[in-house]
This record gives sequence, C-alpha cells and structure tokens, in this order.
Amino acid sequence: MTRNRSSATWVRREGTAMMESFRKNLLFWATLAVLTIFFILSARGMHFNEWVITLLRGLSVGAVTFLVASGFSLIFGLLDVLNLAHGTLFMIGAYIGWTVFVRPDTFVDLIPVVALFLSGFLLSELWLHLGVRISGGGWRRIFPWAALLIAAALLILVLPHYPVSGWNLKVFSESPGTYAFMADQGLLVLPAGKPFDTSPALVLGGILVTGMVTAFGISLFNRSRRQLGRQWLNWRQFTGFVLMLAAGILVYFYNDALTAFLTGINSSWLFLITVVVTILSGAGIGALMESTLIRPLYSRPIYQLMLTLGLSAIGIEIVRAIWGRPEFTMPKPALFSGTGEGCPATSLGAWLSHQCSTFLLMGSRVRVYNEVFIPLVGILVLVGVWLLLKRSRLGMIIRAGVQDHQMVEALGINVRRVFTLVFALGVGLAALGGVLAAPSIGLSNAMGESLFLNALIALAIGGLTSYPGAAFGSLLVGLIQQIIIKYGAIGIPIPFTDILFKPTPPLVPASTVLLMVVILLILPNGLLGRKE
Amino acid sequence: MAEQPTTFTKPGGVFRKNLNLWIVLLVMILLPFIVGLVEGATLGQVWTNDTGISKFVQGLAIEIFILALYALSYDLIFGITGLLSFGHSMFFATGAYLTGILLKSFNMPLGITILLVIAASFVNAILFGMVLPRVKGITFALVTLGLASVFHIVVMSRELGDYTGADVGLQGVITPEFISPATERLRFYFVALVILILFYLLYKRFVTSPTGRVCIATRENEGRARMLGYNTFYFKLAALMLSSATAAIAGALHALYQPIVSPNVASLGFTVTALLIILIGGVGTLSGALIGAVVYRLLDFGLRRYMGESASFISGAIYVAIVLFLPYGIVGTWMLKSLQMKQGWRRIIGMVHR
Repeated sequence: MTRNRSSATWVRREGTAMMESFRKNLLFWATLAVLTIFFILSARGMHFNEWVITLLRGLSVGAVTFLVASGFSLIFGLLDVLNLAHGTLFMIGAYIGWTVFVRPDTFVDLIPVVALFLSGFLLSELWLHLGVRISGGGWRRIFPWAALLIAAALLILVLPHYPVSGWNLKVFSESPGTYAFMADQGLLVLPAGKPFDTSPALVLGGILVTGMVTAFGISLFNRSRRQLGRQWLNWRQFTGFVLMLAAGILVYFYNDALTAFLTGINSSWLFLITVVVTILSGAGIGALMESTLIRPLYSRPIYQLMLTLGLSAIGIEIVRAIWGRPEFTMPKPALFSGTGEGCPATSLGAWLSHQCSTFLLMGSRVRVYNEVFIPLVGILVLVGVWLLLKRSRLGMIIRAGVQDHQMVEALGINVRRVFTLVFALGVGLAALGGVLAAPSIGLSNAMGESLFLNALIALAIGGLTSYPGAAFGSLLVGLIQQIIIKYGAIGIPIPFTDILFKPTPPLVPASTVLLMVVILLILPNGLLGRKE
Repeated sequence: MAEQPTTFTKPGGVFRKNLNLWIVLLVMILLPFIVGLVEGATLGQVWTNDTGISKFVQGLAIEIFILALYALSYDLIFGITGLLSFGHSMFFATGAYLTGILLKSFNMPLGITILLVIAASFVNAILFGMVLPRVKGITFALVTLGLASVFHIVVMSRELGDYTGADVGLQGVITPEFISPATERLRFYFVALVILILFYLLYKRFVTSPTGRVCIATRENEGRARMLGYNTFYFKLAALMLSSATAAIAGALHALYQPIVSPNVASLGFTVTALLIILIGGVGTLSGALIGAVVYRLLDFGLRRYMGESASFISGAIYVAIVLFLPYGIVGTWMLKSLQMKQGWRRIIGMVHR
C-alpha cells in the first residue's frame, strides 16, 4: 500500500522535475536553435567551401580562446580569483615559446640559472626550521625584508657575470625581429656563446645562494600559517633539490652539446619540446604567483582585482624590456611549413609525404597549422582536462571545491595545495594557448589584451564557472567573429534592396559583446552556467 | 566588503564637521599664488595668467580635480552602493564627447550644453538601471563592460567620424572665452575646484542621508535591506543617476580643458583608472577618492617624467605593494589606525582617572 503510493508520488515528482528542467532550459534550447538558424543562414551568399573554411577559422580562434578561457574559469570557479593577468600570461607563454623555438642556445644558457635559483625553494622545510631558530622577538618583522634585500643585492651582483647568448634590442642586426625573420627564411645562424669573465663556479654558486636566501626570506613571510614538520630535512624535498641541482650543473657542462642537439633535430620535435617547456614554465609562474602573492588576499576579493591588474602591467613591461616593442613572427614547425612540389596536398597521404603548409579542400586552400592543427589541440585539451576533472581524484576535489571549498577543507583535504595546482594548471593552459597562437598571429605586446577580452566574453556567454560552458562560449565567439570578418569582405545583401551591407572591422568585437549582453540579460548565468 | 570602515559622523555644523576640508580648500586657493611667489613671479603676473610654473601647476591641479570628481562618482556606486561596474568610463566619455560635439558642431551656449549633458547622463544611468534587476555581481560587471565597449566602438567608428573624430579623438573644441584654459586658466582652476568641493559636500550629505544609508545597507547585505522593506532597486538607481551625472560633469570639464578628447576615455582602461584611484585612497571613503586621485596623478606624472619607459612597470609594482601592505587604501588604513589610537588614548586616560 505504502509502496504503491510512494511509487505514484515518484512518477508524479519525476514528471514534474522533467517538465521543470525542460522549462528551465527552454531558453537555452531556444538560444541554441536561434544560433543554429543563424549559422545556416550565414551560409547564404557564400560558396560551400568558403563557408567550411570560415567555420574552420572560427574553430581555430575558438580553440585558442578556449585555452585561455578554460584556465581562467577553473581559477575563478575554485579560487574565486578573477585573474585579470591571464591575458598577459598568455602573451608571456608566447614569448617564452618563441625563445625556446627560435633561440635554443638562449634557452639552454638559461636552464642552469633557473634550476639553481629554484632549487633553493625545494628546501622549504629546512628554511622554516631555520627561521624559527634564528628570528625571535623584534627581529621578526625586519628579518624577511633583510633576507629579500640581500637576495636582490646578490642577484644584481652575480647575474651580470653569467653570460647568456641572447639578443640585443638596440642593434638592429641582433634584434629579436631579425632573428625571427631569419628563422622564417631558414637562414638562422646562432651567434657563438659568450665566455665567462670570472670563475664559473663562483657565479653558479652565487646564483644558488641567492635562490636559497630568497626562498628563506619568502618562507619567513608565511611562517605563521604553516605547521612545522618534525624533521629538518624532508627526504622527498631533498631528493628534488639534489636532482634540480644536478640537472642545472649537468646542463652547464653539456651546454654546447645540448644546443647542438636542439638545433640539429627536426623542427617539429623542437616544437614539441617548446610546447612542453612553455606549459611547464607557465605552470611554474602560476604556482609562484599563487603561493606568494595571491594567497594572502583570499579574504579580500576586490584587492585581487587590483593585484592582478598590477601584475598584468608589470608583465607587459617585463616583456617589453626583454623582447622589445616591435612585433615579430614565429616560424611554423617543419611538419606544417612545406611549400615545394606536391603542395598544396590533395590527400592525407600526400600531405604526410610532402608536409605541406596547405591542402586543398573542395578546391580551396586550407592552412594546416592554423585551421587543422590548432583546433585539434584544442579538442585534445578539452577532452584531457575533462577527463582530469571527471575521472581523477584531483578532479573530484576540484569539482567539490568549486561547489563549496570550505566544506572540502572541513573534510580534511589540503585545499591550499589544490588551489596552487589549479592556478598552475590554468596559467599553464594560457601559456599553451600563447605558444600555439604565436606562429599563426605573431607576437606583439598587445596580443594578450584582445584575446583576454574574447575569453571573458566567451565565459560570460557560456557560464562563468562552467567548463563545457567555456568550450561552447569560445566556439561561439570564434565562429561569430570569423563569419562577420568574412561578411566584411563579401557583404550581406539586405532584403528587398540591392544594397550590400559590409560590416567594418570594429563591428567584429562589437558583435560578440552585443551577443554577450543579450544572452546575459536573458540568462544571467550564461548558457550552461548553474543557478546560484 | 564587510570589513570596510564606516563613515564617522562628527558633531558640529558644516564648518566644524569638515575642518580638514576647509583647510585643504584654503591651501588649494592659495596654491597658485604660493607657487608663483616661490618661482619669483609677482601676484599680479599669476592673476593675469602669465606663463610659468604656476600656470603649469594649475594645469596639473585641474587634471587632478577632474580625476578626483570622476573617481568620487565611481566610489559612490562601487564603494558605497557595492555595484561593481566596468562601464563607468561610458558616463565620463558621454559627458566629454557630448560637450565637445554640442559646442563644436552645434554651437550651443555652455549652459544649455551642460543641461543636455546632465539629461544624457540620466539616460545612461537608466540604461544601466534597466540591467540591474536581471544581473548581479560579476555578471553586472560584465554586462556594463559590454555596454561600455559598444559605446567605445561607436565613438571610434568611422561613420560618426565627422562628429567624434573617430580614433584620432575629438579636436578643435573652442572653450568659451571666459573660462578658456589658455588665457583664463586661473578662473578655470577655481571653477573646477569649486565644482569638486560642491560635489564632495553633496556626496557627504548623500551618504549620511536616509537614501545613502540604504545604499550602504544594500552593499552590506542586499537581502536584509529588501527584507526590511526597502526596494533596493530604486536606491541603486538613485546612486547610479547621481554618479552618472557627476561623471558626466567631470567629462564636460575634461572636454573643456583638454585640447583633444581621446577615445581612450571611453575604454575599459579608464574605468580601471577610477578603480585604482579609489583602491589607493580607500574604497567607500569619499575623501579616499580625492587623495587617491592626487597620489595617482602625481605618481603617474613623476614616473613618466623621471623614469620614462619603465614608468608603468614601477607603477604596477607600487599598486601591488599598496594592495599587499595598505589593505584598506590610504584613507581607510588611516581611519583604522586613528580609531585604534583613540581607543588607546581612552584606555590610558581611564587608567589615570582610576
């Protein structure tokens, strides 16, 4: 009897729930339908192959936007931090990638410095214990500052003596632009390495000590927030330290051999190495940013805005100081740059054998790198991060943290470490976006801003903290922009007249912004965002 | 937003209440003459607007007044009412462009221009207000950002180039003779100063008025304010309208003072300027907007002059340092400290009396 009634209630309840969910999502389906109609309509006035290419271009822009937007949305969802420096980090990723790809010698020269400097940070447990021993009473406040000042002084003293075969912004024949141009033409000759002017051991030791003092100073700042372990030396940390040190010193000794190896291999492999290095350095920058600067500000959300804005300004200035203001290009890897006989390719086999930069699709050329490779990587990342979020323990913690991170903390999970990881992941994704976009759109000081605005619009359309929303929004933004650019060339026939309306370039961002405003007014949480 | 220091009410009339303000006002009135005397010019030369350091300082001060007025208006909706808007530059740019266009292309007299500018600013505020009931928090910020960037694009567009000057900026606005910044700069200086002080007093009055109190309540806890029976929408709209009108007047002053109205004043960057100014000064403290504007403009000017290209690197570092070490801005931190000091004194006095 009871069971019967309950099952009846169940049916009724389920039925109402279905209706309700349909009604709730009605607007979403309606928007989707309108957009589909819009895309089909947009094919009017174009040949089919033109339409396909426009869509592919949209996919490409969407993929790069997605790489930035997804990282931003992960960070915002879990940490509640609006990272306004995300566009700048995207740009920094592009510049780092350019350096590794075009100037492997500079990259190899820098490895020992970075490795030795960062190895000091791996001994944090030791610094914490040391800090407790040394600083007591009134010294507490002055000590970290003193340590940082000493570190800065050491850095200024030591670093100029370390020779890096880089570029010279003031000499045209040695500027990044010249190297980029020569690399594009395949005429790049790397300059000879510079010799040390003092004892190398002294310089390398100085860098190691500087890193240690810096790590010590920073550890003194957030000493009170951490529990001390029992042992002075954590074995895991110590192994990491020794490995890092050994790597740095080894690279120093085999510098020339490594450079020769990197310049000798096929540029497709070099590109792969570049991508990996860029992601790692982006993740490193992110982890450092989160653990030193953003962590003290979790209780003051508005100030994170100002902090990230300030960091963004600093980042742009650093890029200007190192790589200069003029724009330059990055060559495409060999796999996507063949132009000789047999190109443009007509089949997959032909493309593989000639490694063409373009192939023929229904009678028109498609650029392989821009319109096939970038979207493919975008989809790969989409699936990869999706699996990470849905199928791994870390992903479970992240998803739970997005819902309610205090609850997760109460369950005994070290959310802080997850915060750092997610921040590193987000910045790593942005850096990946940067290095992927660099060969297709080139490097400039302003590349971060416009893309960041795109990503923000994409997120607002898709739902700020929703991961599929980020993908959907980015896709939409990319497609609409490319379609409007296309119509800027061919014009839209206005019904019942002979006038062709040609959208001007400023209308491209305006169209997506307008779409965002309309969608947010209908659905305040975006298309796929959850209701608060 | 919960930890902001609330505004204090001191006993006494308008004069005793704002004693600091009157002192500052006196200093500002005397400033051009003092600078002139230090420079070695006579008072008469300052009075007749001879070129010199005094005139230059007046120009810098006028820019600071305009920025302060603009930041003040942003503080009203962000610091007092708690609406994070990324479209505030639109209010300012409307004032600037409308003033310029009406004066230049339509030859309107200044009075009617100002009236029209205020009317347009109300239209702007109502446009933002239409969005208000639908979206909240960061979504509101994004929608306002969207509206402002559409405005930016319209201003930049080539179709309206005859009026707005497209991406070059609006040039050739002839300021009426009696407050021309070239020949009558001292008068312009006093006009801007008086407008700033009047608006500052108006804002102080607004914040302590019942309407302002509800605005603060909306910032602290909107749900509770609604439950107490206030329709928060109208209060937010009131704050938006006042803020919009103020920003538009600041924009009008900008159009009158600057030879070119650059389209940058409609961009997101200019909203961020206002945000930075009130974060430097202290969010929710009205005097913070004024002090923040002074610090911001002088910092910008000094760095650009002495550092050249690396200026924005250093200013970025300074903003980061302010965020990390002056968490409530200059005025906010000062208020907290003085409160603590007062309590300390009271304790000491109590101990002695006992």
